Parts: sequence; structure tokens; C-alpha cells
Amino acid sequence: MNAYIITRDNLRTWIDALIRDYTLVAPVREEEKVSLFKPVGSFTEIDLNYTNSTISPKGWLFPQTEEMFFFFTSDNQVNLEDACKPGTTILFGLRPCDVKGIIALDPVFNGTYQDCYYQMRRQNTILVCLCCTRVERHCFCNSMGGGPTNGEGADLLLTEMENGYGIEVLTSRGEELVNKYHQLFAVDGDNRVSKTRDEMGKKLASQFSRKVDISGIKEFLDQHFELPYWNELAQRCLGCGICTFICPTCHCFDIFDQSPDGESGVRSRCWDSCMFSHFTRMAGGHNPRPTKKERIRNRFLHKLKYHRDRYNLDGCVGCGRCINKCPVNIDIRQIIADLQEVARYDQLPLS
Amino acid sequence: MTNCRSHNPLKPFPATIIKVIDETPDVKTFQMVFDNPEVMENFKQKPGQVAQISVFGVGEATISITSSPTRKGLLEFSVKKVGMLTSALHRLEPGCKVGIRGPYGNHFPYEKMKGKDLLFIGGGIGLAPLRALIDFVLAEENRKDYGNIEIIYGARSVDDLCFKYDILERWPQMPGTKVYTTIDRAEQGWEGHVGFVPAYLEEINPTPKNKYAITCGPPIMIKFVLQALEKMGFSDDQVITTLEMKMKCGIGKCGRCNIGSKYVCLDGPVFYLSQLKQLPPEF
Repeated sequence: MNAYIITRDNLRTWIDALIRDYTLVAPVREEEKVSLFKPVGSFTEIDLNYTNSTISPKGWLFPQTEEMFFFFTSDNQVNLEDACKPGTTILFGLRPCDVKGIIALDPVFNGTYQDCYYQMRRQNTILVCLCCTRVERHCFCNSMGGGPTNGEGADLLLTEMENGYGIEVLTSRGEELVNKYHQLFAVDGDNRVSKTRDEMGKKLASQFSRKVDISGIKEFLDQHFELPYWNELAQRCLGCGICTFICPTCHCFDIFDQSPDGESGVRSRCWDSCMFSHFTRMAGGHNPRPTKKERIRNRFLHKLKYHRDRYNLDGCVGCGRCINKCPVNIDIRQIIADLQEVARYDQLPLS
Repeated sequence: MTNCRSHNPLKPFPATIIKVIDETPDVKTFQMVFDNPEVMENFKQKPGQVAQISVFGVGEATISITSSPTRKGLLEFSVKKVGMLTSALHRLEPGCKVGIRGPYGNHFPYEKMKGKDLLFIGGGIGLAPLRALIDFVLAEENRKDYGNIEIIYGARSVDDLCFKYDILERWPQMPGTKVYTTIDRAEQGWEGHVGFVPAYLEEINPTPKNKYAITCGPPIMIKFVLQALEKMGFSDDQVITTLEMKMKCGIGKCGRCNIGSKYVCLDGPVFYLSQLKQLPPEF
């Protein structure tokens, strides 16, 4: 695929043109240490120097709360009307781990039963990935099959260069986005972009504070559902659910109706969390995951085993948000390391 | 594969309640018909499948379809009043509007069951999903494909027996069909069996030869029924049950009905005991 180079001035022109022609969602620095993906009205609102957004950008494909349809009932009739359809959106400046998060969500909302809400947004969304230039202390994408300069799954991949940005085209949709404004781009004739990206990748590879070994974890968990280890972890967990809220691959949701007059209203869905006790509690009172032990086990098994079982993809992309935000410092890297140790211990011959 | 352009699987089809049958003080059976005859015609459920029932303004709940697919033109759902949605449903009368989407989940292996005797063991509202299969195999066009039918059914009291007409009158009159009914505690006016379902099952002591046992009921009943069946020599591949889990989407997205990496809404609700034993004990 083709590669181009754009100067900083032209990048500004390009982004302003994209804002004019599409809905552009990009990282915005809200306050100290809080950056979020938001629709922007001008280039100056965007902060491309962010490392990782506080909440993952998955909400642009799978909103925190989403109206599904409106209903109107009367004595003899009920009419359902679709909520409005989204236009084309550009998710600009996504970090590679978040692109990987979207790739992990895709098969969940696809399959025999297509999730029309996700599909509609996904088909109308162009993913512009931006290579990292820094590694945060909680980052571990390189342990989860990704990397800070690996834009796999995006339509365009941007790399910061000395006097501008390199743009690698990964899909035909990405190509269109460049072609439409071709006068702003110079063709990268001598692979400067990929060279710069490779160098950056090598430089960043050495900056990870921790590398974890995921190999054999799924196979171990296939054989070991009951582990005293989950009890230990559950004793620390507060069940606050922040890990699921900020996670780029968590997809649990609730469905609820709102109707001020009992006759017409809206059915919506909103993010829910497997860390909450009511999540699996049935109307009759039975709860298959009654304590934090079952719930925390479910979450980590989902990330390390179930997602793989169902979709052959890792359920964790190594963005490190849950590590950063957990109020009791539960660290999935440590869990993986602990499980490795439990697995080794399990294999030791009994003396 | 559903296509978003033709239909959104999370959007129910409008339907109307045409009849409400009081089964017990807290169970009602609702007969429902889709408002669009074409939708009714195309709704092809298999025995054991479930559907999502909407009461607009209140929400949705997953309910097993209790009518057999051989009964065309309507769907029946037997609903125990336990939560928000089921309480709202219980307030509805014939003529009220609801929404239905589905059918969801797998189904009882009625093809594999051909040529076999069938033993149904139900407790309380647990008879509802079994009833779809019972009426399917008893339907005139299918009856010849199946052997003898035994139905063991129990409830707390006479009042709590669901489908009284079926268990006391209709099914016992069917050819090659035996119905054993029991209530937990003796009651004035009840001349039938008294005792818990698992104990009654052991008393009847059916042979496992050329037979499938299909059971559904409260978890504690299922537990002891499974133990009793094992004692009688039923293999894990001869025993089938159907599970209940909290569900929202019904299509494997919302993440709450999983047992291990299986979603009950997609991979269940019907499981052989042999499959159940492969799953983590989280149901």
C-alpha cells in the first residue's frame, strides 16, 4: 500500500477539511491527566501528544448509552421507530491498542445475529491510527500481540516525523481519504515513513516497564476453573467496575425502557458490568455468580480465555487502563504472572 | 444470517395477547399472535427455544415458548410472576399489545429422539419448556416417530400445578402416554401421589433402556433428579435439561448468560448432562 508525507501545516489544513466534510472524533485534553475522544470543531482542540485516552474510544461505535428505538402504543396499535442513523465519522488519532480493541469487538457484534447499531456505526467509521511516541508505565501492548507502532486494523496509520507526519495507507477506504485531499500529501518515494516507524518501534520496545508472558495461560485456564487464587484477588477487589468501564474490549450491556406516560417512550441500551452483583441475578433471586470471587474470575477468564474460545482473539489488548485506574491496584500483568507461577507449581511433581 | 437492512434482531415485532389462562395463583399462560400475519407465518420455533417478550415501557424478559410448533398461528408463554417484567405482564389482558423477538437458542434434539421412549420430569413452572416438546411428540403427525411417553410432574400444592388440563385430562388420554402427578404435601381433596419429584421418580423407577430423560424445574429438584437418574443407570448422554439464566439481548452480545465461554442464549438453553459436566459449575 502507498505511503505519503504531510507537513505540520498541511496536517492542520487536512484536519480542518475533514472536520468540514465529516464528523471528526479526536483526542481532546479535558484537564490535567484526562483526555477523551470527542467530536471536534477545529484542529486546535485536538491533542495528538496524548498517550492514552482516559476512557477507551469504543464508545464511538458502542456508546455508553444508546437509543435503540422509540415506541408508541395506543389501545389498538404499537409502532416502533428507529433512532436516527449516524453519518460518516472519522476516529482520528487512535492508539494502536485501541484499534486492536475495536478489532476484538467486531466479532462480538457480528455473527449469526448482526448488531445493527454497532454495524451501522462501524461501517460508517474510518479509523485513523497514530503510532505512539511514548510508553506509559502501565502499557503492555507488546505482551498481547500488539505494539506501539502496529496499526493493524486501521484504515490509515500515522507516524510522527521530524517535520510532519508519515501516512501509511492500509485500506482502500483510507486511500480515499488521502486521495480526496491529494494536494496536501507528498508521496513517500524512499520508504522514509516505514523506516521512521520501524525505528520508533525499536526504540519504544525497550521502554516497557514490564513484559508478561501470556503463553500457556489459556491452556492452563482451560483445565483449571477453580483456583484459590481467585479468592485472594476477590478479597482485594471492591467491585467498583471501573475496569470494565474504561476497557476497550468490554462489551456487556443492559437494555432498558424509559416512558414518562407509559404509552410512548424509548428503548435504550447502556454499558453494564460483570463486576456488579445484579448483573446475573435472576428475578427469582438465584445468582450464578453470587460473590466477587465468581465475578472477578469471570472477568479475567473472559479476557484471557473466553474471548479466545469464541473468537480466537485475545480479550485484552494491553492498553493498561484498568491497571492505571484500579483503586486497589489489581494489575492484569501481575495476574498473568501469578497464573504462570500457579501453573508451574501445579506441574511440579508432588514430593 | 440476519441482515440489518431487512431486520434488526434487537427490535421486537408487535404482537397482541389474545387469551390469558390462569394456571396457578402466580402463573399465567399468555396466548399471543403477531400483528403482522407474515411475521407469524415466518416465526418458526423448535421445541425448547425461547423468545424475548417486551412490555413496552417496562422492558423485556426471556421466556421459553411453551406451545409446540405443531400448533400454528399462535405462541404460548407460561409466566411466573417473580420480577418487574413478569409482574407487568401479569397485569395485561387480552387485547393488550406486547413485543416478541426470537426464537432464540438451541432446541431439544427431537430428531435424535425418534424411535425412543421419552421420560419427562418437571417441577413447578419447569414444565413450561418441556410442554413444547411433549405436545410436539404427541402431535398427530409426529406421534408414530416416538415410543412411550412418561411424564412425572410435581408442584408444591394442587393450586401450584401448572397446565392442570394437560396433566390431569388431556395427556393421560393420549395413546402410549402415562402421567404421574405429585404434590409436596398432603392436601384435602387430593387423592394422587404426595411427595417430592425425585423421590417419586425413584419409586416409579423407569428403565433407562432406549430412553431419553428430559428434566426442568427448580435447581434443587434438578440436582436430585440427576442423581436419581444416574442411580437408575441413565447415561449422561440420555439425560437432557434446559437452563435458565438472566438474559438481556438473547443474541450473544450483552455478556451475562455465559457459563464459561458458552452463552446460554446461543449455545443453550438445552444441554445434555454430558455437556453440562464439561462446563464450569456456574449456573
